[in-house]
Amino acid sequence: MHDTLLRVSGINAGTEDKPILHDIDLAVGAGETHVLMGPNGAGKSTLGRVIMGDPAYQVNSGTIEFGGEDITDEAADKRSLAGIFLSYQAPVEVPGVPLYSYLRTITQKRPELKMTARKFRARVGEIADQLDMSGSFLTRELNVGFSGGEKKKIEMLQLLLLRPKLAILDETDSGLDVDALSVVSRGIEAYRADCGGALLVITHNTRILERLSVDRTHVMVQGRLVAEGPASLIDDIDAHGFEQFERANASGGDRA
Amino acid sequence: MAESASGTLVLERVNTPPAQTWNHLRANDITLTVPVVSRKGDVYFALPRLFESIECGMGGAVTDWIESQASDARYVEVRAGEKREEPIIAESDTGIMVRAGAEATIVVCAPTGGPAQGTTAALVRIIAERGAQVHVLEFVCGDTEQHLESVGIVAGEDARVDVRQFFLGAGTTAAGLAVALDGNRARLDLSCRYLARDNDVLDINHVIRQRGRNTRCDVHESGVLDGHARKALRATIDLVHGSSGSEGAELENVLVLSDDVTNKTMPVILCDEDDVAGNHGASIGSVAPEQIQYLQDRGLTLEEAEQLYVRALFDEALICAPTSETRKAVLARATEILGSETASDLVEGLDLAEKSGPFATTEV
Ligand SMILES: Nc1ncnc2c1ncn2[C@@H]1O[C@H](COP(=O)(O)OP(=O)(O)O)[C@@H](O)[C@H]1O
Ligand SMILES: [Mg+2]
Repeated sequence: MHDTLLRVSGINAGTEDKPILHDIDLAVGAGETHVLMGPNGAGKSTLGRVIMGDPAYQVNSGTIEFGGEDITDEAADKRSLAGIFLSYQAPVEVPGVPLYSYLRTITQKRPELKMTARKFRARVGEIADQLDMSGSFLTRELNVGFSGGEKKKIEMLQLLLLRPKLAILDETDSGLDVDALSVVSRGIEAYRADCGGALLVITHNTRILERLSVDRTHVMVQGRLVAEGPASLIDDIDAHGFEQFERANASGGDRA
Repeated sequence: MAESASGTLVLERVNTPPAQTWNHLRANDITLTVPVVSRKGDVYFALPRLFESIECGMGGAVTDWIESQASDARYVEVRAGEKREEPIIAESDTGIMVRAGAEATIVVCAPTGGPAQGTTAALVRIIAERGAQVHVLEFVCGDTEQHLESVGIVAGEDARVDVRQFFLGAGTTAAGLAVALDGNRARLDLSCRYLARDNDVLDINHVIRQRGRNTRCDVHESGVLDGHARKALRATIDLVHGSSGSEGAELENVLVLSDDVTNKTMPVILCDEDDVAGNHGASIGSVAPEQIQYLQDRGLTLEEAEQLYVRALFDEALICAPTSETRKAVLARATEILGSETASDLVEGLDLAEKSGPFATTEV
């Protein structure tokens, strides 16, 4: 049995005037791969943000533990340094900050990753090659003017550079063409192979899961986790969609 | 211009934009007090007449004053078709003729030497003939009390001009740039990055005259303001009658890190032609919350996230700095602002940039 890396217990959260997440319990063991599925608007991204510590969302009750520490009240930067990484569904454009300056700064912030500029450049070069990215990206402003696929690659580049213990990938695969999808899949595989980190993959698309061995699947409907099961649950959802869970949730039925 | 008794001169209406619609902001121009040394009896070498008619960004009073104070004007000519590798270093009063089809890099680097240096100034006039390519790099990283930098450029048919300005210095910096896109299809790319903090004063005037047909200009100013800094930017794109098919765009992003900052931006698009397009966009304020959140999610505190914008200015300036003198100036200022650890990190990065091109990824 693995150590529990992330433990979300009884979380109720939302924006100031709108409850979004209800009674969320979720445990992810070190090195495990979990999948979170659910219809649009279910609250999947919100859960990712709440785990990351986005102050746009209020946690009204419940706790989040990471590596045995209660991080419910920690700021996002602390959680990041502790080893949580959230890959954005829509990465934010940051004009005025070249990718190079940014990557260097977030890397130097971590004692375990501190390295000379030379080593750093070599490492970034390696990852860029792995992700079929041109080095010229580095002098461009962070995420500004990049295509959707390129932005996701930049997220993967950071994932591989920062080597977190837990990576939450929020629809990293959505809107990608076949080539970009295979590059991103390779990135995720490399993360598993090199860092042995845990994954919480939020997705609609089973393709990205083909090359991953999934430990647990969770289904979210209307802000509640309504079902949890083995990898085979994904095939079930693929074949039958979310209606069964939505019906069960609407009738207030038993939450499996 | 009014002469005072004590060897100083008051220059009024400096950095005036073509259209003065901003009276309510009281920022139509700046008044500067500068020292004067009598040059009576000196033989002064003047530039060829052709340069006299070039409009310079800070206006006539500054041109007259610098001409009266410079010991000599310097004239540089790049021959037709020549691709000049070595940058031309432009100092106090320089005229540069880049002949047809030639290419040249021109560097203006403000002197350093501490506030004791008082006032420093540069006047640079450039003619880019047909098909010429001109790269202009301006670095103001000094710590003199006051620096004036006035630049005028005329671009002929198919000439391509790019200007990169880095205004990162302490004290008062007043800079004006006027570019006349006279020839058809002439093109300007202007990037201006600035930092003003403490009690710095930064006064910028950008005037782009699009006269030729199908000319293009792309102007992007962006910077960081902190402390009690006072900044005024006047940016004018003048789509002159006859410039049909021309397009001009201007965009400014300002990051304001303190409540005590004074930030004035006065963008104007003048348009006396139907078949043209002028665009202005601006985003002013603090970093958007989602940007800060993104940076915090990757491990930076709010202050570190804000400092990243400042570091980025120096990273970029250093990458662009083509001579050891400009690099030294940028680094000295970076050390002062970011501390020696970050500054030496910048140097390490630069070292690699020199060896293998800005960001080669194929490293061993
Ligand atoms: N910052 C916010 N402000 C207001 N409503 C929000 C905010 N974030 C999410 N929501 C709402 O919460 C619900 C869940 O959204 P989200 O977590 O993005 O769902 P999913 O990722 O599963 O598609 C939606 O109804 C959405 O509109
Ligand atoms: Mg979502």
